[in-house]
Amino acid sequence: MRLLILGVSHHTAPIDLRERLAFSPVDLGDAVSALARDPALGEVVLLSTCNRTELYATCQSLEDGHDVMAGFLATARAVPADDLRAHLYTRTEADAARHLFRVAAGLDSLVVGEPQILGQVKQAYASATDRHATGALLNRLFHTAFTAGKRVRSETELAEGAVSVSYAALGLARKICGDLKHASVLVIGAGEMAELTARHFAAQQPKRIVVCSRTAAHAEALAAEVKGTIVPWTELDAALAQADVVVTATGARTPILTRPRVQAALRHRRGRPLFLIDIALPRDVDPLVAGDSDVFLYNIDDLQSVINESLARRSSETTQAEAIVNQEVERFMAWARSRTAMPTVVALRQRFEAIRRAELDRLQPKIAGLPPEARARVDEVTRLIIEKLLITPTAQLKALPDQELQTSYADALSHLFALADPAAGDDEDDEPGAPKAGPGPRGFAGS
Amino acid sequence: MSVLEPALYALGAVLYAAHFVRRQPALGHAATGALGAGVVVHTFLLGMATVRESALPLVGAGDALSGFVWLLAIVYLYVELTSGERAMGAFIAPFIAVLSLVAVTSAQPGPRPAILDSPLFVFHVTFVLFAYASFAIAAVMGVTYVLLFRELKGRQPGVFYARLPSLATLDQMNGRAIVGGFACLTAGMAIGLVWLLQAGRVVPIDPRVDAMSMADPKILLAVGSWLLYAFQIMARTTLGWSGKRTAWLSAVGFVVILVNLLPVAYLVPTSHAFD
Repeated sequence: MRLLILGVSHHTAPIDLRERLAFSPVDLGDAVSALARDPALGEVVLLSTCNRTELYATCQSLEDGHDVMAGFLATARAVPADDLRAHLYTRTEADAARHLFRVAAGLDSLVVGEPQILGQVKQAYASATDRHATGALLNRLFHTAFTAGKRVRSETELAEGAVSVSYAALGLARKICGDLKHASVLVIGAGEMAELTARHFAAQQPKRIVVCSRTAAHAEALAAEVKGTIVPWTELDAALAQADVVVTATGARTPILTRPRVQAALRHRRGRPLFLIDIALPRDVDPLVAGDSDVFLYNIDDLQSVINESLARRSSETTQAEAIVNQEVERFMAWARSRTAMPTVVALRQRFEAIRRAELDRLQPKIAGLPPEARARVDEVTRLIIEKLLITPTAQLKALPDQELQTSYADALSHLFALADPAAGDDEDDEPGAPKAGPGPRGFAGS
Repeated sequence: MSVLEPALYALGAVLYAAHFVRRQPALGHAATGALGAGVVVHTFLLGMATVRESALPLVGAGDALSGFVWLLAIVYLYVELTSGERAMGAFIAPFIAVLSLVAVTSAQPGPRPAILDSPLFVFHVTFVLFAYASFAIAAVMGVTYVLLFRELKGRQPGVFYARLPSLATLDQMNGRAIVGGFACLTAGMAIGLVWLLQAGRVVPIDPRVDAMSMADPKILLAVGSWLLYAFQIMARTTLGWSGKRTAWLSAVGFVVILVNLLPVAYLVPTSHAFD
């Protein structure tokens, strides 16, 4: 069986094509079942996110597998085959493993290091296993991909830092206030940016989330969405004194939070830090406020520089992440190669064991008179001799670095020991039968 | 003199620093392991000395420093294991390694004076050293708080932002360490006073016991640090102080304690010189 990936991603296809090729979670399971029924394919996993649609499969023939998978995508998503062909990419064997591991690690993502993709890969795999569409090869491949993804996250800083304004603000708030469950969040304004950031904060379930806007209707709508309360514009000063985090994003032409206003609030705080996130343009907070000792003031440019820093750090971590991916590819390929040799190893062992059994049977009249302990010893010694004779060639065969070489060696062993002939070697007095070179295992699974 | 425990503490310091820079979990585990091994060796050596002397080795300045290092390493390991935060190790482990080296290279105390054969003396020293270890932890929390605060204030989150816990967590841990240390220091000083009253009744009166007063720099500094930490707790509870102010106070308080533990104990003749 050969390993094949076929798909499109943000690297190769425009967004309108990716949208057409995307599978909903409901469609995904049925698609996997349909593909797994095709005789050209063995195991199947379908990964579909907003940035990629990829089919992972095992097949006897790469050409047939490719045609079936490309045809399925074109038919299932009603995309003309010619339109699709120009954007498709394929990966096979080690390149396929490396591709999946890079995807799981976030190295192939639009925003390098983004953490959601590992969960999406897990969901795709779970959906395929639910439909009994995976087997030994894809099971091993995906579990190694999960390991690669986890290792990259824990051993590198690839996923560190925020890469959006809202997440940058949230990360800073957590670094200042700790667990936001104990923090009060004040949102000033109820526009699009305020709403987006407020939603991120609301997801952290802060102790209190208060919305203050000049337009009461907007404030009510946002407060309802984030399960917060409303404070009238006239009570902004009191709300400011009680807040730990302030998100301000109004359309005001002049600063709302002037230095005297913030200083008045600070007097009630007795050294407790206040985090002001000013994502309005023009700015809502007077820049002089940053001079007050217990205030952390971040405007949109400051948050953007935090994001740039994160992106630069992620980019510097890619070399280490790629090294981890390569290690996992090596590990997976070593396992896959050992599977290639497995049928030959099993056949060789069976042949040796058959010879041992035959010889013991032939000697039975001579050893029948021995005490049971001595007979058991003879059995054990002969078994140990076979084990020791086989251990080195087995290890050497599994360790061969190249799959073609391993197949050649397996063929040679099959030929030398006539493994394809079940009768060969049964009787030492017989002339060895004409050796029949077995078909020899091919590809990953050797079947 | 054993070089094994300072060597293990130093190895721990190097590994904690490497973990701080590279943030590899394996380095962090190795650092904790090295520090833990140092504590085990240190415990064994203290146990051997206790068996040999038939009393805890707490007589000389070197003994006190060694006991302080031992307790500090244990308290730090407790904080690390319960909070899961290892970044602080990069600040505390070098300190432990250096003080451990000073302790093992200190002169050995002479014969143990009979007036120290009292359980009150053991409790007095143990409580005070425990307090000092807690204050050391609080000082590190305070210093790291200020470092992180400055980074955040400067709007350039970087090294400390990526490695240290939040300001709120550091402030909370600082507050707890101060309260724990203050309780131990109060108990240690009270027990010392009771011991002093008992020792004062032993005739002839030991001149060092006779010299124990506020004029003694060691006692003066101990009382001074007690007042400083008492103020810090009062400021936290009644004035609502927190954050940078208490961080600075705990750093200043520990400087006073370090002065008491090192130059005063080693260079200035005091009533506490029993070695």
